[in-house]
Amino acid sequence: MDIFLQQLVNGLTIGSLYALVALGYTMVYGVMKLINFAHGDLVALSSFVGLTVYTNMFADGGTSIVAVITVFMFTAAIIAVVGVLLERLAYRPLRTAPRLSAVVSALGAGLVIQNSIMLIWGPNMKIFPSDLFPSTIWDINGVVITFTQVMILGTSSILMIALYLFINRTKMGTAIRAVAIDQDAAKLMGINVNKIVMIIFVIGSALGAVAGLFIGIYYRGITFDMGWTYGLSAFVAAIIGGIGNIPGAMFGGLMLGLFNALISGYISSAWAETFTFMLLIIVLIFRPTGILGEKTAEKV
Amino acid sequence: MRRILPNLAASVAVCALLVTAGSAADVIKIGVQAPITGKYANEGQSIDNGVRLVVDQINAKGGVLGKQLEVVTCDDEGAAQKAAICARRLVNENVLAVIGSYTSGATEAAQTTYYRNKTLQTSDGTSNSLTEHKYWTFFRNSFKNSDQATFTAKYLVNEKGYKKIVVLSDFSSYSTDLGDSVAKAIVAAGGNLIYQGKVKSGTQNFTAVLTKIKSMEPDAIYYSGYYTDGGLIRAQQQQLGIEADFIGGDSNDNPDFMKLAGSSAEGTLLINFPTPDFLPYDLAKDFIADYTAKYGIAPSSVWALMNIDGLRAIVHAVEMTKSEDTKVISDYLHTLRDFPGITGPVSFREDGERINTKFNVYEVQADNSYKIVNE
Repeated sequence: MDIFLQQLVNGLTIGSLYALVALGYTMVYGVMKLINFAHGDLVALSSFVGLTVYTNMFADGGTSIVAVITVFMFTAAIIAVVGVLLERLAYRPLRTAPRLSAVVSALGAGLVIQNSIMLIWGPNMKIFPSDLFPSTIWDINGVVITFTQVMILGTSSILMIALYLFINRTKMGTAIRAVAIDQDAAKLMGINVNKIVMIIFVIGSALGAVAGLFIGIYYRGITFDMGWTYGLSAFVAAIIGGIGNIPGAMFGGLMLGLFNALISGYISSAWAETFTFMLLIIVLIFRPTGILGEKTAEKV
Repeated sequence: MRRILPNLAASVAVCALLVTAGSAADVIKIGVQAPITGKYANEGQSIDNGVRLVVDQINAKGGVLGKQLEVVTCDDEGAAQKAAICARRLVNENVLAVIGSYTSGATEAAQTTYYRNKTLQTSDGTSNSLTEHKYWTFFRNSFKNSDQATFTAKYLVNEKGYKKIVVLSDFSSYSTDLGDSVAKAIVAAGGNLIYQGKVKSGTQNFTAVLTKIKSMEPDAIYYSGYYTDGGLIRAQQQQLGIEADFIGGDSNDNPDFMKLAGSSAEGTLLINFPTPDFLPYDLAKDFIADYTAKYGIAPSSVWALMNIDGLRAIVHAVEMTKSEDTKVISDYLHTLRDFPGITGPVSFREDGERINTKFNVYEVQADNSYKIVNE
């Protein structure tokens, strides 16, 4: 039993990271009907930016809660700016172009970011310091949970709840939902569509940045090409949950994390990816709009 | 069509020019096929740096057969597809010999192309399969997995007396090969192999398979893959509270292993050929000093040095045979005995296998230094 619970803890941790990244895909898709393939590389970029921020500001001062919060805020802000620039330079000029052009532009933007990381930080694996979070470990009846895992689960739940409330309970959130349903009608109602798109990119990129930092802290080793791995998993999570649907992305991420952990734990880690994509196919056959997605649902 | 034809003719002419320019050169080209970028960049760059250092030294002394050496590097990123492209490119560049690659997978993917084009190749790849094709162009400058496996199994079963051993590997041809060989050797040595599994390199998250292993209560986990994953497996193993010794195969021997494992690195056992600083030869000390002086950092592991020995042996063969005919050089190398190398005497068997089997077991200390613990 404790083995099963341990797999659950492991699966939920990685699942909530997938969910944070998946939100970035799903929000952009919801509003712009664009699959932002550069999102995974933004996540990778945030790991590197975060590492640089940390080593430059706090490396000798040891870690404190202030240091960690500063690193997160700073990195999220930088990545949000990059995200907005990305939209301005790579997507906005193509907003009225055929959808394929925008997707190709997204793929190109991803390559630009990935190669920029390689040119700036070098092709070698970079390694996060191990003392960012205390190495406290709790052992509850044989189920081990680390401080980092608690932080990942806690922070991502708070962020997801906050996002849900923001979208559903605020005026700005209503505007975002309106743009998602019909851009032209929203424009006629006096909503500034460009501003809404910018906000979407700020939020999506900042969430991705948090995920990227956690990936660095949890797994320690970061490479310039890791964005693809995480991006693909999160993208699958977004589709399984129902792309364009915010609770769907959260659900899809957590489910994918759990599914992977259980397959690796009880069948073989060799098969984890095979089963993931089989799951994707099965979901798409029976529920083409994803598990939480409905044809009539508002897509945000 | 009218416009295409002249263009075509022109490009053919340019190609012809390039080809003649290449073959009539009075330099000897040496190819380097190594992962300059990607996960194993650290090792690939060491190989490239080392080759360039040796070539500079040889050129400063007047070159080989009165000709200067020229290095052509191709980045294979440690991937089979890229390796095949590199092989084509280096063959088109008319290199005499290729040094590399670092991974067995990338080496094997390029092997046939070199063989068909009569280009010599020397690699540190350790997969048994590398020499099984019996290509006369191929020379292994390291050792065979099965040799290491026999040593490892004896150490684990007889010397340490582990009762429940787990063997993990990744999906690369090297790691699978080594993992299978070790598992077989453990069983052959009468050891109790309780689990043999595989992890996907680069996944970063190994908790699922480790949790599964935890329930089996092993006392030793052997990992045959590379340091980029090994360090993380070690860290996550301790995090999950699995109190087993971690034993890493040769490719875990890299400074990044310690960085990834962090405080968990202490007590890890690594099995490898002697590391650069443990090599007792003067040639090794001189080479490492020169390398460090030029690049400001020591070679990342013994693998770069093994490849350098491959290069030195080939250059030696060119000088002795006074020939640039690869078949003649190859015949000479197959009979080479005890050529003084950086990593010890270099001798090749008829199948291109290097003869030597010295291994050490290192225990990682608290300051990440190594202590030899076998014998």
